[in-house]
Amino acid sequence: MRRINFNRILYSDTTWAFILLLPNFLGFMIFLMVPMVVSFGMSFVSWDLFGPVRWVGLGNYIELFFEDQVFRRVFWNTLYFTAVTVPISIVLSLLLALAMDQKIIGIRFFRVAYFMPVISSMIAVAIVWQWIYNPEFGLLNYILGLIGIEGQSWLSDVFLAMPAIIVVAIWQGLGFNMLLFLAGLQGISEIYYEAAEVDGAGWFQKFWNITIPLLAPTTFFILVMAVIGALQAFDAVYLMTAGGPARATSVLAHYLFQNAFQYFRMGYASAIAYVLFFLVLSFTLIQLRRQRAWFL
Amino acid sequence: MSNKEAALDIKYRANGFISKLYALRKIIKKKKYIPKTLAYLFLGAGALVMITPFLWMVGTSLKSLHEVFVFPPTLFGEELRWENYLRISDRFPFFQFFLNSLRITVIVVISQVLTSSMAGFTFARLRFKFRDHLFALYLATMMVPVHVTLIPNFILMRHLGLMNTHAALILPALVTAFGTFLMRQFFLTIPAALEDAAKIDGCTPFGVYWRIFLPLSKPAIATLSVFVFMGMWNQFLQPLIFLNTKENMTLPLGLAFTQGFFSTDWPVLMAGTVLSLLPVIVAFLLAQDFFIRGVTLSGLKGE
Amino acid sequence: MVMFKKNKLMTGIVVVLVVLGLVFGGIILTRPPIEPEDVAAEPVVEEPVVEDPAEEPVEEEITLHFVGWEASPLETESVQKGLDSFMTQNPNITVEYMPVPHAEYETKLITSMAGGAAADVFFVGTELYRSLHLKGQLLDITEYFEAELELDYFIPSAASIMVINDRIYGVSSCTVSPILFYNRDIFDKAGLPYPPKNPDEAWTWNEFLEVAKQLTIVEGGETKQFGAFGFENPAWPYMKIAMFLSNEGDVFNEDFTETTMNTPEVKEVLQAVFDLRQKYGASPEALVLEHLGMSPSHMLQTGRVAMLIDGSWALQELAQMDFPVGIGVLPKFERAVTHGQAHLHSAWIDTPNPYEAWRLISFLSSEEYQLDLIRSGLWMPNRTALYTEEGIARWFNPDVHPEGFMDVIPFIRDAVAYPFAFNVRPATMDIIAEELGAFFNGGKPLDETLTDIESRVNEELAREQ
Repeated sequence: MRRINFNRILYSDTTWAFILLLPNFLGFMIFLMVPMVVSFGMSFVSWDLFGPVRWVGLGNYIELFFEDQVFRRVFWNTLYFTAVTVPISIVLSLLLALAMDQKIIGIRFFRVAYFMPVISSMIAVAIVWQWIYNPEFGLLNYILGLIGIEGQSWLSDVFLAMPAIIVVAIWQGLGFNMLLFLAGLQGISEIYYEAAEVDGAGWFQKFWNITIPLLAPTTFFILVMAVIGALQAFDAVYLMTAGGPARATSVLAHYLFQNAFQYFRMGYASAIAYVLFFLVLSFTLIQLRRQRAWFL
Repeated sequence: MSNKEAALDIKYRANGFISKLYALRKIIKKKKYIPKTLAYLFLGAGALVMITPFLWMVGTSLKSLHEVFVFPPTLFGEELRWENYLRISDRFPFFQFFLNSLRITVIVVISQVLTSSMAGFTFARLRFKFRDHLFALYLATMMVPVHVTLIPNFILMRHLGLMNTHAALILPALVTAFGTFLMRQFFLTIPAALEDAAKIDGCTPFGVYWRIFLPLSKPAIATLSVFVFMGMWNQFLQPLIFLNTKENMTLPLGLAFTQGFFSTDWPVLMAGTVLSLLPVIVAFLLAQDFFIRGVTLSGLKGE
Repeated sequence: MVMFKKNKLMTGIVVVLVVLGLVFGGIILTRPPIEPEDVAAEPVVEEPVVEDPAEEPVEEEITLHFVGWEASPLETESVQKGLDSFMTQNPNITVEYMPVPHAEYETKLITSMAGGAAADVFFVGTELYRSLHLKGQLLDITEYFEAELELDYFIPSAASIMVINDRIYGVSSCTVSPILFYNRDIFDKAGLPYPPKNPDEAWTWNEFLEVAKQLTIVEGGETKQFGAFGFENPAWPYMKIAMFLSNEGDVFNEDFTETTMNTPEVKEVLQAVFDLRQKYGASPEALVLEHLGMSPSHMLQTGRVAMLIDGSWALQELAQMDFPVGIGVLPKFERAVTHGQAHLHSAWIDTPNPYEAWRLISFLSSEEYQLDLIRSGLWMPNRTALYTEEGIARWFNPDVHPEGFMDVIPFIRDAVAYPFAFNVRPATMDIIAEELGAFFNGGKPLDETLTDIESRVNEELAREQ
């Protein structure tokens, strides 16, 4: 169907592809690809930011995996954080999206309400939640007190600190995921449901046999984005607990940051960054294989 | 109407999820997943949980310091101290930081929208060698954690002499793989019929992009803009690392700076926080309709 | 499935990129790290500056960037006032002061230096001082110092911290030490004698414990008033270290190559502090983070705690709080001692204006500058001259310094230098804080905690670079 024009260059796809893609590609190379590759190189050296660079080969990685107990702790924390945050967030946001998908009065209000945590800066979120979790004056302990549950020092307790951060992370991400689910839901054609109703399907059957399967690509995307985000989480930890208490909330991104900008260990930090990268990569690939729903 | 048929055709053929996001027909549903009252309850409870922290924020911003930590917690103090909002400037040059944030964010949004739409169009509609490999590479980089590129970017900025400048924040953010991906998926849903019609009328590929695809993509652009705006406005780590002097700093840093080591002026801090949230909320409210549309559908007729 | 079909091509690309990366990494990193001449720094100089310290400086307009952290809004005000005075005295110098939040300060300082865009003069925490010197980031101001001042002018703890290998890279303006505060009303109500002010009369730990127990009031299953608070802030072993020293223990050995925390002396202290809360209920749960809500001072003011162990800096806030606050020496194990330290002011090695930077540093450590902040209670003097009778009279402020403070003064003057000031591994503090946190809040047994501290810290100290 494509008409062949005389001026092949002017109308050639390749020409314009080159031109249109160039700015994007340049930025991509300079600020994404090259740094990625440099970072990789840096993971094989030891450098304290000011002095000379020293080649250590696999030394950083060996230290990470065999000698560094903080790394192990932090690695586990990251997995823990991700494994709890992501499923809960997805389930909750799906439920919310289902609820929102009906004709609701005041839907605009609800949308704004759910989106406010998403658009807030992490600093604002951290400050507010530090107050909520405050053992003496915080809202949470107050409410718990009203129903007779003893208040805890949420952010100071070695066992409760991570769940506390997880709650904040879920709180902040719900609106976003909900919106994406909504979009996915509204893309499912009415026809399927009508057909099912004709066959006498109840709401649960409709949900299970139509909604869930047709929502799969959306779910997959949300899952992947959520996992990637959770594995890299940094701001919440840094701002709310500084990795404490006793490293209970320190995650990979946080340990990376400390090594790079507090401990004078840039090379080591790069190694951690690459471990993080491969973690993200493997999760994504696993998801890809399992879903076999390639979103191209 | 051949356009409508084409639209329906696309819809049922589309197999990717994002194409569902931009499904061509708006469908109002009464899906009855759960009884309506339950839905209201659920939504209402959730909304309460979402909003309460913000209510407290506003309330505290109007209190005086000793009223902040009282038990049981109160929403408002004895009187509304609006002067707290004026006192923000004692802590840090609010206006300056605001302008800095705005400048950086707007530049980045414009740049990302432009480059992403151009690249998205290229990947969606133009054919050239290695196109799919390149796109796969782009996708892969979406998985790269920000920290992997942070340190080399830091070194790069230093060598370029761009430390403590806005350029250090803007340059790495001019381009985005995510935005490219988003635009591409959107462009995929625009029917080939339109493009062919344009070509028959003698359009270069650029013309197709500029005259047809771009105008049609308002919802997607709105979506991307809001996401990018949000991200850049609230960015904390990069400004912390790259900016050194008051003239250059951004709003998130300003908020962080209001916290003292031993004591913090909480009401003023909250006032600053409220003010810093306003632009993003406004942006969201304004773009809300476009934004929602952009995420869920696209009208064939653009406008 | 594009990604999986074109495997060979992708592999090829990846290999090429990896090689590129190693090459790139090597090239970029082996270039000299900082080239300040190439770096577009902030507009610091308008005209060329004379660098020779012996020469009289020409009167040009210079702007100095000065960075510090803010302990409290009150402090920033005082600092700014001092700077205004400096600028009046030195009309050709403008000082731009920027306080950075303490939590981000270290990172900010290090990255600004690494980025070749550090301020001219800045605070340096004692824990970071020697590390930064090792990285070659601090200007050697020994000559400037010796032209104007002498080490004897400073109290022993301050002087020993400032000197590295017989050279000077920073000067402190004050000293602070852990000290005991108490709420007089509570003691009056309970009819108990006030905590001692004279170091010779310091309470033993058991005497302290007894008082704390007596002042702990439990009503209806809830503790309304705690006897003491402050020893247990695990994220920062600051207060506990004073007790280690008191029990003839220490954090490090003499040459700071190993930790001596796994010793009976340290163990005794940690157990005692732990029991204070756990066994006797005389101390509340520690608030781990500094800006988490109510400050310890509020707790003392409202009578939530009877005694507060905090840094002497808290006096500034406490004095403003309108309640009868008292001050006393810390309890002792073997000897009555506390440690002392304070941030130093240093100049960046690549500052374009070393002489002006020195002028600022010198001013900041001057008696004149110190006096205001000492009078407010935030600081204690680090100049020996300010500890004589006439000296004390110059800063003693009855509105701020509580009754009996005169007796406490020697306690602070004779403080031992803070051990962490001599440590060069930033990660060490985090390791100790983490382990202590596990012990105090995570139920980890004390013996195991101490052995782990020993092995981990020693490993960190032994690591190269």
